Amino acid sequence: MADPIIQMKNIEKHFGSVIALAGVSVDVFPGECHCLLGDNGAGKSTFIKTMSGVHKPTAGEIVFEGKPLDFGDPRDAIAAGIATVHQHLGMIPLMSVARNFFMGNEPVKKFGPFKAFDHEYANKVAMAEMKQMGINLRGPDQAVGTLSGGERQTVAIARAVHFGAKVLILDEPTSALGVRQTANVLATIDKVRKQGIAVVFITHNVRHAMAVGDRFTVLNRGQTLGTAARGEITPEALQDLMAGGQEMAQLEGSLGGTV
Amino acid sequence: MSDVQNTDERIKETSRLRQALIRPELGGMVGTVAVFVFFALFAFDSGMFNAQGVMNWSVVSAQFMIIAVGACLLMIAGEFDLSVGSMIGFAGMMVAIFGVTFGVPMWLTIIITFVVCVGFGALNGYIVVKTGLPSFIVTLATLFILRGFTIFFPQTIERKTIIGGIREAAEGDWLAPLFGAKIGKPVFQWLGDIGVIDTFQRGNRLGEPVVDGIPMLMVWAIGLVIFGHWLLTRSRFGNWIFAAGGDADAARNSGVPVNAVKIKMFMFTAFCATVFAVCQVMEFGSAGADRGLLKEFEAIIAVVIGGALLTGGYGSVIGAALGALIFGVVQQGLFFAGVESSLFRVFLGVILLAAVILNTYIRRIITGER
Amino acid sequence: MKSTMSKLFATAAIVAAPFAATTALADGHGDDLTYILVSHAPDSDSWWNTVKNGIALAGEQMGVNVEYRNPPTGDLADMARIIEQAAASQPDGIITTLADFDVLSGPVADAVDQGIDVIIMNSGTPEQAREVGALMYVGQPEYDAGYAAGLRAKDDGVGSFVCVNHAISNVTVAERCVGFADGLGIELGDSMIDSGQDPAEVKNRVIAYLNANPETDAILTIGPTSADPTILAVEEMGIAGDIYFGTFDLGDNIVQAIKDGTIQWGIDQQPFLQSYLPVVVLANYDRYGVLPGNNINSGPGFVTADALEKVEEFAGEFR
Repeated sequence: MADPIIQMKNIEKHFGSVIALAGVSVDVFPGECHCLLGDNGAGKSTFIKTMSGVHKPTAGEIVFEGKPLDFGDPRDAIAAGIATVHQHLGMIPLMSVARNFFMGNEPVKKFGPFKAFDHEYANKVAMAEMKQMGINLRGPDQAVGTLSGGERQTVAIARAVHFGAKVLILDEPTSALGVRQTANVLATIDKVRKQGIAVVFITHNVRHAMAVGDRFTVLNRGQTLGTAARGEITPEALQDLMAGGQEMAQLEGSLGGTV
Repeated sequence: MSDVQNTDERIKETSRLRQALIRPELGGMVGTVAVFVFFALFAFDSGMFNAQGVMNWSVVSAQFMIIAVGACLLMIAGEFDLSVGSMIGFAGMMVAIFGVTFGVPMWLTIIITFVVCVGFGALNGYIVVKTGLPSFIVTLATLFILRGFTIFFPQTIERKTIIGGIREAAEGDWLAPLFGAKIGKPVFQWLGDIGVIDTFQRGNRLGEPVVDGIPMLMVWAIGLVIFGHWLLTRSRFGNWIFAAGGDADAARNSGVPVNAVKIKMFMFTAFCATVFAVCQVMEFGSAGADRGLLKEFEAIIAVVIGGALLTGGYGSVIGAALGALIFGVVQQGLFFAGVESSLFRVFLGVILLAAVILNTYIRRIITGER
Repeated sequence: MKSTMSKLFATAAIVAAPFAATTALADGHGDDLTYILVSHAPDSDSWWNTVKNGIALAGEQMGVNVEYRNPPTGDLADMARIIEQAAASQPDGIITTLADFDVLSGPVADAVDQGIDVIIMNSGTPEQAREVGALMYVGQPEYDAGYAAGLRAKDDGVGSFVCVNHAISNVTVAERCVGFADGLGIELGDSMIDSGQDPAEVKNRVIAYLNANPETDAILTIGPTSADPTILAVEEMGIAGDIYFGTFDLGDNIVQAIKDGTIQWGIDQQPFLQSYLPVVVLANYDRYGVLPGNNINSGPGFVTADALEKVEEFAGEFR
């Protein structure tokens, strides 16, 4: 395998007296889907916010493409190629797919001194990119509000990929979706990975992780419980790690192993 | 994946006509047609559709359009400006005090007025984006502050609240005609001569047509509507306006300079109010402390009739212009039709309600809300 | 879509209903003379009700169509548009005020030049009326009325006063205070206060002023809008009857206060005549070509506690 595109080394993050991250280390390679699992409050969100430049780590080092990184704000991270698709998206329902797709990065066409939004180009690209992801729009002017949750995730992912993301962080993209839509999003993740982009897939659903993940890192109470490659670990073992072992085993026993 | 798999059989095919119909302007278009049909039936021979009558409601509509364009873009960017009416009074009073009382050359007076008023607009915007307070409250404060100054300054300086003599002070100025002149006079004179337009029957304007040109007010209105429409739909900045009003956080995440967009829109709204005020004082020759009262609501009503969403992120400048046209035609048309003038508000309320209900319905189709 | 359209038509029908009724009523006289009165008063100004009743009665008696129009917020620029609109509808005559000569003289002169007869009422001066080409002026010369009141107050021993002005932007109304000050022989100075139109605000500002300036001899209010709350203010301060209190114009509460002795006198400009007479004059001019040779002064008439009976009966309606 090539060198990791991003290395998080011993990251610590304190909020006042609360230690959210107590020394977390994760490597992510290009073209892999690295699943980050953990229960609520495990520190997943803090970790990816640190990775995407929202938070500065209290201690530890981030190495991106072999060089130490020090992001001032999320825009630096975006410019460097680290894109985040948030749980709450960042799509504007009232705006068309094409307008959303190019929000903040609008293509312009010059008319003498005037610079106009190049609708023709925007529409063409948005339609093509969406088709590539397997979504057929009625038209580029279709409002995002009319799309399903899975389709919106796909628009957001396609947008990040189109604008040159090298590392794509997906923050619980499947948590609010139905079975069919989840499958669509997982298929999208697979396509993105095959383009050589490093995907960091945050979830607390082991089955979703097992479906597309290459490697799995489990976070618990601000610490890594280790990273395992595909085939090295069973879903049950992952589940146990997430919940903190023993207690969960007992709980599961009482529930007949269905969780 | 094949196409078939991704086509949701539950989504009905929508016809092209329906597609063409569902747009923010639809409410305004339907309303405009309805209003004209209505007055054509009830007030056709009342003089409403002769040259003078057309000019009358056109000028009133043009006034509404000027402030509606600013209010529309600002509302789409997610904010309100309640200080528009006070700004109109304040700007007019500034022209009077600098131009008449202090004798500053009119072109300089106009420039100073624009700078100060647009500055107030920027201040509105700056306070809103920095404090995160609702613009409703911030501009409500500005409404009172500006109205207070508009009464205080002339009273302190001149001991009166109406200052006249602006027309005389603007005589021969190079910039003033941009706001106060009329264009196309020879055409109208010719139309008067061949009898298309009535002419004055007595007085020192004997033989001149009763409508002698298109006031710059209307040129400004049309110019601002075209500019606003282009900016919103055809420019990169327009996408930012939609984004800022649709979801400011999402827009920020995507790198849209939301704060700058909002501040600029507050400045543009102030600019529109100042254009309104300067055109008004140039036409009427005096500035009064009560000018522009309640105009902010009239602007907002026109914008809402035109299909914009009060919560931002959705709307159309053309729609707002049609809303202003409806407003102006109804306001003046009721007089032509001889309706008791106190019923104007009833009509306005009914139209507003009908427009909002229609627009909500259209928007649901567009966004798939249920 | 279909249901929306039918809803829209239903709405249009509802809108049309009162409208059609009004039109029928206006045309019911079978007479083709139409006169339009354009006032400068906002909807909230109750005093103009007398003017409305005046033209309505004159219209009925003379058998002509009359219409009353006003700018809803009292914005004089809007009023100018209404005059232009009135002219465009080609009535036989327009009755209007000159609340701001700069703003209104153009539209009024244009109407005159189109061959429409114009009579100026209420606000403005006889000179201004002549300048715009109006047939005549019907009203009360405000400065003269104020001056006469000032002389009267001076004889009653008044040396200082406060003018409660609820229409601070109306130049002609302010003339009343200026005239009063000149009649007293003192400077107006800071004794004119901008009271606003809201009754509670007017009342509190008057109380505040009188507390701050306890040596004030007299109060002058310029209409019911400022007088009514001021009556309450002096009653609350316990100086009702002690402080010299004069007012312009009449209304229910003012009449009662004159009766109670709170107000010494009210100056009645008889607004009824200001709207009634122009209609009569215009109708006779259009029908028979007869026209009085001069302006008509509808006021000032001092109303005191004596002879209140008729005033009391019709206050707020025709007085």
